[in-house]
Formats: sequence, C-alpha cells, structure tokens
Amino acid sequence: MGAVADSLASKRIAVCVGSGGVGKTTVAAALALQRALDGGRALVCTIDPARRLANALGLENLGNAEARVPEHRFAAAGLAPRGELWAMMLDVKRTWDDLVARHAPDRTRRERILRNRIYQQLSGALAGSQEYMAMEKLYELATERDYDLVVLDTPPTSHALDFLEAPDRILDFLGNEAARRLLTPALSAGRVGLRIAHLGGSYIAKTLARFTGGEVLQELSEFLGVFDGMYEGFQSRAAAVRSLLADPRLGFVIVAGPNPLSVDEALLLHETLHAESMPIAGAVVNRASSSLLSPGAAPPSPEALAAALTAAGESFEPSFPARLARAVADNELLATADQRQTERLFREVEAAHSVVPRFEGNVHDLDGLARLARRI
Amino acid sequence: MVGSSLLDRRLLIVTGKGGVGKSTVSAALAVLAARRGKRVLVCEVNAPERVAPLLGAPPAGSSIREATRGISTIDLTPQECLREYGLMVLKFRTIYDAVFENRLVRFFLRALPSFSELVMLGKILHEATQEDGAGRPRWDLVIVDAPSTGHAVQLLRVPAALLDTVAAGPLRRDAQWMRDLLIDPKRTALSIVTLPEEMPVNEAIELDAEVRDVLGIPRGRLFVNAMPGDVFTDSECASLARLAEAPLPLGPAAEAARRQAVRRAEAQRDLGRARTSLDLPTVVLPLLVRPTWDRAAVEAIADAIALAESES
Repeated sequence: MGAVADSLASKRIAVCVGSGGVGKTTVAAALALQRALDGGRALVCTIDPARRLANALGLENLGNAEARVPEHRFAAAGLAPRGELWAMMLDVKRTWDDLVARHAPDRTRRERILRNRIYQQLSGALAGSQEYMAMEKLYELATERDYDLVVLDTPPTSHALDFLEAPDRILDFLGNEAARRLLTPALSAGRVGLRIAHLGGSYIAKTLARFTGGEVLQELSEFLGVFDGMYEGFQSRAAAVRSLLADPRLGFVIVAGPNPLSVDEALLLHETLHAESMPIAGAVVNRASSSLLSPGAAPPSPEALAAALTAAGESFEPSFPARLARAVADNELLATADQRQTERLFREVEAAHSVVPRFEGNVHDLDGLARLARRI
Repeated sequence: MVGSSLLDRRLLIVTGKGGVGKSTVSAALAVLAARRGKRVLVCEVNAPERVAPLLGAPPAGSSIREATRGISTIDLTPQECLREYGLMVLKFRTIYDAVFENRLVRFFLRALPSFSELVMLGKILHEATQEDGAGRPRWDLVIVDAPSTGHAVQLLRVPAALLDTVAAGPLRRDAQWMRDLLIDPKRTALSIVTLPEEMPVNEAIELDAEVRDVLGIPRGRLFVNAMPGDVFTDSECASLARLAEAPLPLGPAAEAARRQAVRRAEAQRDLGRARTSLDLPTVVLPLLVRPTWDRAAVEAIADAIALAESES
C-alpha cells in the first residue's frame, strides 16, 4: 500500500480534489478498491459518467444508487478482496429533487417547487449546484449508510473554493434576506404569482426589474415564496455538511498531474483547505514520467549508442542511434520537469505523498486499478 | 484554405477538458491571426490568467491590455462585467452606484442563477460586435479561452436557458441577441481541444454532441494536442524491447525509445477514434518536449496550425 492510502486507514471519508484531467476519478476508485482489498466495505462516488470505470468494475452503468462490484469480477482479475467494493455516480438533479422531497412539508408544496422554472435552472445548470449536491450526497452517505470508507470524487474545479463555497452561495440564494425584502410584501402574505406592481414602490426593485425584466423577479418571488419555511431545514443540513468536512475522520486527497498548471491549482486548493482548517490526508501526483538514468548522468551520445549497437552485432539504419539518443534525452527532460513539479507540490503539503508513474495503456480493469492502488 | 476561413470568423470559442492545452491553442490562434495583420482580443473567463504570460506579457487583469503587437487580452470577472453591463443598461453611473453598490443587491445578483455567466458572455459578445467611429469592427477576431467542458457548456447555454425561462423584457432581448450571434456560422465557431488519450477523446466526443444538439453553435476544428512523433519504424519498434535489456548506455536509450513508441501507438489509436467518431476537420499538433512553456512554444504551435491548414 502506498503512503496516501495508508494515511486513510483511520479515515471514514476521503474527498479527492484537483483540477480536471488528472485522473481524479481513477485515483478515487483505486482508493476505495484498496480498502475493499484490505477488508473494508468501501464506496466510490463519482461525478462524471465514467463509463470506463463502470466497465472496469463490471457494472453496466454507474447510477445514483450504489451498486456492488460482483465477486466474479475480482476473481477474474486474480484478486481476493476481504471486503466489499461499491460504486455509484452522483445524479445532481435527482439529489436536488430528493432534498426538496425531504424538506417539503407536503406534496403540493413539493410539486410546486419541482415545477418552478427558477428551481429547474437551479437544480440543473446553476454554477455550484453540482458541488453543493456532491457535498449533500456525501453527508447522506456518511450518516445514513454503513461504509468503512466513502471516497468522493469532486467536480473538476477551475476555482479551488468552488465546492467549499457552493453550498453557502446557493443557500444565500435560497434564504436571501435581500431578495426577500425586495420581493415583499407579497411574500409575507404567503401569496404567489404576484405581479410586478406588488414589488413595492421600491426604487431598487424597479431598477432591478429594468435590468432583469419583471418576469424573472416574479418567478423568483414565487420560488422564494414556496421555499419559505423550508430554508431552515436546508440551512441546518448545510451547516452539518460543513462540520462534516472538518471532521478528523475525513481526509482530503489532493490529486495533481505533474505539470505547472495542475500543480498551481493543487497548491491553491491546498492553501484554501489549510486556511479553512480542513483535514488533508495526502497529495498524489498521477502519471509522472520516470528517469531511466542514474542521477546526474548525462544522456548517451549518438556515437556512444552507435558503438554499443555495433558491439552488440546489431544492424541498424544510420539515423537510428541519433533517434535513440533523442528519445532518451526527451525522456530525461520530461522526467526532470515532472520531478520539479512534484517537489513543488510536496514541499507545501505536510501530509502523505504518493507518486503514481505513467502506466502503459489505460487502466481498464480491476487488475490495472489494483496495480495503481498499490502506488497511491 | 480551411484555417484561414476559421480565422475569418469574428468569434472563436476554444474549449475542452481541463489540462489539454486550451490556453496554448488560444494563444497560438491569436499569434497566427496577428501574423496575418488582424487585431485580436483573447478573453479568458474568470480563471487564472494564462494567455498573456504565455505571450511573454504581464497579466492583463480585468481590463483590456495589449500583450504583444496585434494581440490584446483580458481576464473576465463577473464583478467587473456586471459593472460594465449595468452601466450600459442604466446609462447613469449615479444610478448604478446607488443600486448596484447596494450591499443587498450585490448579494442578490451574485446568487441569481446564471447571472455571472450572462454578464461575462454579454461582455465577450459585446466586444465581438463593437465598432469604432468609422463603422469598422474594433476587433477582427475575438478568441474565447473558455472554461473546461462542463463550465463552458454552462456559460454558452445561458442565452438559450434564459429564452426558456424569461418570457419578456430586456433580459430576453439580450438573450435573443446573444443567441443569434452564437449560432451564426458566418461569425462564430467553436473548436474543441483534446489530447490523443482515452478520457479526453471520450469527453471531446460528448462535448461535440452537446455543441451540436444542445448549444447549436457552429463547429470549427478539433485540435488534437501533444501528439507523440512517428520516430521509429515497425521493425525498429519490434527490436526495442530486446535492446532495452542491454547494458548502459544502450539499454536505457532503447527503453526510452520503446516507451515513446508505445505512447505513439496508443495515441494513434485514440486519434483514430476521434477522427471516426467526430466528423470535424482535425488539426494534429505535435508533442513538444521543452524545459519551459513560453512564447517560443506558442509560436511553434502556431506554425504547426499554419502547416496543418495549408495541407488541408
């Protein structure tokens, strides 16, 4: 087992964070697999429709419900897990609808929310919605299920703060006092479908209406109206989610690729997590190139390679030694650059470190995933 | 020439999975257009600024700044775009300040669904259509270094979403105007950047379907970035595994060559898959092995794009 998987041994929740395209989903799945192999009941919850992962796990599809990876799949890969591996994919819209159902006082109210166009926007495409629901799902999985380890893959962030701030941002929207004040008095009377005339003579409301059109404000006021009274439920749950994130049984795993851009983003994430006192379990640099020469050795010259080929009795094209020399020099250049970026990240992250080498081929089965898991 | 027609649009949107080289391709397209005498604006969308530094210039921040001859850049933020949009709609700074500097309203607008996306997209499209006093476009070309896949779709579908949500009013008029520009094949094209690897190609295929079926934005090119070179012949490749067992110096060199050849073969497979799954003109860009990623690298990518288009 690698250092990062090791540091998760005492954890119940792992949250994988990092920029897109670094293999975060695969790392998340490998961490869950490792725990299952070690005898735990582990779940990986992905964000993207990772079909390849579903295939690798022998599951038809990853859906919003948890599915267990079948035994025969492990047997086929020559693995004998002492625990269980489960997998699912977050369905943002469904999670929203479930949340509304959970908090709505009655059926009519629930239906009215589900039909509201502002709600449909919010639950479908609103920025931050995915991040919020990921946190919400995590809370549900952590508190209402019996897993030894839940590994959450998070949406790729262009901003480190997105998934930490998203719940607050959306709650601001749902419970926004400013909006309420603007849209009263109709709201306080509990009436919906108010007209623009009801927005009060407020100078601010009128100017806003000029900006967005009265329709939007009307839809919005209706939406806030039906949400009235449910907000406290949402808020207390979000507060619980927030405190879960700071729980010592939870560990963030920062995943990065060995390139400057990805490491910049990882460092920014680390800084944010650190400032918010979130527990960081480790950092993983995925798909790093490795050096083929002993430290400090210069890459061989074409002449030296030509001599070695001749001495070995090989026949070769005249340009072959130069191309070999170029290949090894390029490899060293890549390995040095990757190592520099890896060190830049590890210097800052005071937690477990793992470097996963670039494997040939893609990880397309449990065996490959297990191979990866051993390095994390 | 395929490429020249791409650069003849007014608005080029560049998107793709995170980490595939969108900013490099955006910068290279800007360099190529500037070489042809065009005045170019590159917009980055609320992300760590990359294009100006790649061109060897200091970051522009949230106001337009010339990075190099013919190329200006800006890093759009919702706050600054909202301010501009607000001033444009309201005409009077005093009213804007009174209303939008109001703490409650700021709070409210920040939370309004898709409002940040709307004002940023509005700013981009406004720049793409702006004219100087003589009726000449202010920019010959506006390039959008769009956020990665999911966020880009969120940004670009705002006008359509608003047309679904909003029945009438100024917001609907703006949304209509934006949508008209985004779907106009004479003025706009969206290009996807990907890597010749499994997941990025899968994502490019899904993104393209969304561009076609959901966004309806005219499709430009598929840029396949960082393609390993075709260095070794088949018979050489066959001998590399054996040679990799040899002692120094031959062994490590042959192992490096073997790895390179394997990567090339894998990349070929994924490139082939991208070509057959997507009926898009494809531009293949070479993997550049460089100690630092700078202006020279961008120029090299621009050369590769120019070469690819002259051959097509």
